[in-house]
Amino acid sequence: MEMAYYPGCTLHASSSLYDVQIRLIFEKLGINLKEIDDWNCCGATSAGKVDDFLAVAMPARNIGIAEAAGFSEVMIPCSSCYSRTLVAKHHLIDNPALKEQINEELSGKIQGHIKVSSILEVLLARVASGDIDEITGKKLKGLKPVCYYGCLQTRFPYNVPVPDDVENPQGMETILKVIGVKALDWSYKTDCCGASASINDEDTAMNLMARIMKDAVARGANCMVVTCPMCQLNMDVYQDKFCEAHNIAERLPVFFITELIGLAMDISLSELQVDRHFIDGVALLKGLDPA
Amino acid sequence: MTVSVNEFIPETANTLIEEVMERSGQNLLSCYQCRRCAAGCPVAEETGYVTPDRLIRMIMLGDYENALNNPLVWKCVSCYTCGTRCPNGIHTARITETMKKLAKENHLQPERLKVVNFHGTFINSGIRWGRVNEMEFMGLYELKNTFPDINQFNFKPVIEELKTQARLAKAMLKKKRLHFGFELVKGRREIKKLYKKIKKLRKKL
Ligand code: SF4
Ligand code: SF4
Repeated sequence: MEMAYYPGCTLHASSSLYDVQIRLIFEKLGINLKEIDDWNCCGATSAGKVDDFLAVAMPARNIGIAEAAGFSEVMIPCSSCYSRTLVAKHHLIDNPALKEQINEELSGKIQGHIKVSSILEVLLARVASGDIDEITGKKLKGLKPVCYYGCLQTRFPYNVPVPDDVENPQGMETILKVIGVKALDWSYKTDCCGASASINDEDTAMNLMARIMKDAVARGANCMVVTCPMCQLNMDVYQDKFCEAHNIAERLPVFFITELIGLAMDISLSELQVDRHFIDGVALLKGLDPA
Repeated sequence: MTVSVNEFIPETANTLIEEVMERSGQNLLSCYQCRRCAAGCPVAEETGYVTPDRLIRMIMLGDYENALNNPLVWKCVSCYTCGTRCPNGIHTARITETMKKLAKENHLQPERLKVVNFHGTFINSGIRWGRVNEMEFMGLYELKNTFPDINQFNFKPVIEELKTQARLAKAMLKKKRLHFGFELVKGRREIKKLYKKIKKLRKKL
């Protein structure tokens, strides 16, 4: 089957390993991802702080292109892009005059019926259909992850259908179970990593991340699993820094869920580009019992 | 802790609350000060006296100056925790975002210039090229951050800032997470045109 795909700016740059992993595992799942033609930046978390019209207009153009091309579903892996696009879609549905106004300048006109899905929603549908279980021959033993969702997978600043439990989502845990991994229960799965504060308000971000890390360590985790590239980058790149500042001795690799699924599909670590993490994850994954 | 008393300024109370409600899309009048928002705010320990409920109170009272320039407006990370927990569905993140824009429109010096520089530069890059190219964006952002110091011939903080960023860039390069490509969106004019149109419309109002 074909599905529209919106990678967003980070997946074309610092988190391109995530893009690579997604393409690899989706191919095995038989889903043909079609990148939205000539897509633009969604405005991320910045647009709402600069101009509310842009916060809708930027993702709107992408929705228009995907709909004009006939897609009924678009998969958006980055939590920020996903949240912005979903919220924009519902703004446009609730405000036909605004939709009209934006459509005037767009070559791909918005209808407003495309399903905007996070990567978790798409993967969970493949758990339900049994597809993931079928092709993940290898079950991973020895991982003790905590699943970290961050803010934008379940909390939205607008009335949209929420895909999982707001305070205690279970999507990642459900997927990991299928590949033999039992995730640990913990209290910080939806806490904020600070997002762009790591660059514009460093101390605040380091505080937030240290709190998340401390709970993960206290629960006995040996890694963290995420779907958001922003969360991944923050928790990985700044881990030495916030751990040093907050007296945390442990270090935890921060995996995208796609690399664990990929591994269970028998895709090699080098193909999955696991060596591009700041906190090494290769040693842990190599040491797993293939069962 | 000393608790400051909020000031009621009748001349501005109506206009301020109306403007914030309209632009943020939040019904501030439904706030009954239960402080559930304050209990879950992750930056509360850094914003001192100002928690979401108190920001709402300041706006209601028309305390223009304090409502526009306080730690919460600039430290809020838009995590949406307060909004999803508020029994009245009030998203304070939308309020802090509105206050940021109001501060800019009123030419007020923000408490955290870096926050303004970050989001402004990000959107400019996104609109100019259609996509945010990380290297170009970070370069322009640092330029903006260091500009006030350079202007004052104050080079020490500039060098410190550049050193920090260079260290990060070097580490990113080693992990192949620095990207040198430059992406351009053919249809970027569509968004630019829309933006121009809406700005013109707003001026007329
Ligand atoms: S949770 Fe909502 S109603 Fe309660 S104080 Fe905060 S904003 Fe007001
Ligand atoms: S959205 Fe802002 S004010 Fe609300 S809980 Fe998060 S940081 Fe605090």
